[in-house]
Amino acid sequence: MSAGSASLGVRTQAHWWFVAPALILMLVILIVPILVAFGLSLTDYALGNRTANFVGLENYEDIFTRSTYERMFKASFLYVVLTVPASVGLGLGAALLINSVSRFGDLYKTIYFLPVMAALLAMAIAWEFALNPSVGVVNIFLEMGCGSWLESWSWYANGCATSFPLWLGDRDYAIWTLSFIGIWQGFGFTMVLYLAGLTGIPRELYQAAEMDGAISGWERFRLVTWPMLGPTTVFVVTISMIRSFQVFDTVEALTRGGPSKSTYVMLYAIYEKAIQQNLMGIGAAITVVFLGFVLILTLIQRYLVERRVHYT
Amino acid sequence: MTTDTLSPTASPSRHLRVGSDGMRFSTAETIKHVVLILGALIVLMPFYVMVSYSLKSPAEIMSTSLAFLGDQTPFLDQFCVKSGRPEADCMRSAIEYNYLTAFTEAPLLRYLLNGVIVTASIFLIQIVVALPCAYALAKLRFWGREFIFAMVLFCLLIPVHAIALPLYIMLAEVGLTNSYAALVIPWTISVFGIFLMRQFFMTVPDDLIDAARMDGMSEFLIVWKVMLPTAVPALLAFGIFSVVAHWNDYFWPRNVITGDRDLFTPPLGLREFRAGVDGNDFGPMMATATVIVTPLIVAFLIAQRRFIEGITLSGMK
Repeated sequence: MSAGSASLGVRTQAHWWFVAPALILMLVILIVPILVAFGLSLTDYALGNRTANFVGLENYEDIFTRSTYERMFKASFLYVVLTVPASVGLGLGAALLINSVSRFGDLYKTIYFLPVMAALLAMAIAWEFALNPSVGVVNIFLEMGCGSWLESWSWYANGCATSFPLWLGDRDYAIWTLSFIGIWQGFGFTMVLYLAGLTGIPRELYQAAEMDGAISGWERFRLVTWPMLGPTTVFVVTISMIRSFQVFDTVEALTRGGPSKSTYVMLYAIYEKAIQQNLMGIGAAITVVFLGFVLILTLIQRYLVERRVHYT
Repeated sequence: MTTDTLSPTASPSRHLRVGSDGMRFSTAETIKHVVLILGALIVLMPFYVMVSYSLKSPAEIMSTSLAFLGDQTPFLDQFCVKSGRPEADCMRSAIEYNYLTAFTEAPLLRYLLNGVIVTASIFLIQIVVALPCAYALAKLRFWGREFIFAMVLFCLLIPVHAIALPLYIMLAEVGLTNSYAALVIPWTISVFGIFLMRQFFMTVPDDLIDAARMDGMSEFLIVWKVMLPTAVPALLAFGIFSVVAHWNDYFWPRNVITGDRDLFTPPLGLREFRAGVDGNDFGPMMATATVIVTPLIVAFLIAQRRFIEGITLSGMK
């Protein structure tokens, strides 16, 4: 900061004109709604009512005791637990493979990144068709495998003997199917972050590791690549978690939380309770719990990033 | 790098991509390509389904044929007949039928236009709000600056989708749901944009700004005539980030737009189409999906590097 700009900063009032719009919008659009959510979560407010009753922590009590919300937490956590490790793992795997092949790496990268660009709603509908039990590509392919060695897998043999799953219509499979679509959509994103991370690893480290006797690829991965990708991994894991906590498009379009609330994830629950049923109090309470999760995740990420050891 | 144990040419001076041994046959290399191609097929499968259904007649969709293109034999378009035209004018091939129906049965052009209006307004307002603020935070010294920057950092923690409900209630209380304003307002402030631009402006030399001041430029002019041009690459990446997010967004429009078709964004239009489909409409619905997805995919294929840069921007903070 030069002396000139400092004195100018004091002399003119320009900075307030520059900062004020952003400041006001931050307050009104980001800070106030959090307070509003807190406030309303203690009431039985509904749109159209002029007044609302203070109900204390009743909404929270509902959330933590009723079986509907137990299913909501279960669906949300299951979705995150299924989606995050797979998309991080596949993203890393794809990045390593693409980095190690001598040709067509860019082509694979482009293809794997396509789902990130495409409107998820449109692709969800395409998946719905692909997974349709009678005319869908997926079950047609599975049926082609009947009678082959694949039948030695009892699940597969069972599918051939009776029928393959309904996928989205089956409460044992629905959340798995949605998670699969989530992984399909998200791993290209983790892949490019890992590719960026890989280019940041100094070549000399591999040479040094080799001189220290790390001959096998696995050793080099364990001793150099994986530790060097640490910060990328921390970031990728937390951002994937936050993103999968926010899953909505596929749920709303394909299952509406069903069958039997098996895919009743948090954001969909907020939408259904508050927007569709006008139960704003309970919706606000879920919002607060939801915000709590996201904040905790982000704070853990910040903590890990700041604590990390710099190797470079 | 790590998987190249399998590669016979491992030597101490390896490069990330060894151009020369790509020509030689290598088992390891082949296995890698097989895995990558299988992955690519799974990734492309729903795109194949989408485009392929948009090219087929209703009957072909209901059959279990996996062919990409239907046989395009003209058939009688029932919608066309209902609209009172003679049957002879209503013979359509599958492609014509699907895409014509997509554009005529629902106001798809209107949806696309809405998408453009909303994404463009969001991006422009984000810039108008964020750029001066970022400049002030990076280059002006004033009382309260540290506090405001701390607030920006705090707000980075808040995903807007998570506070959608209170925002919706606030908009509903002032009667703004079902309007363009409702679609745009929550996104007018991008703390991420402020943060990004501020980091960028920190690297701009003070001399440049001082020189502009010597020339008698006002602070206001400095923001738009000096700082803006230097920030173009960062703005471009941010723009891609912003446009992709809001063109594809479904959650927020779904919350604030109820019923009024004239305000539908492309994903809402597609959702509405899907809600009313019967067997004849699957083709047109997939045509709609294809039309909605295509602009960004094409832009991405043309300027891949920029797009990947833009989308992964949030990874660089």
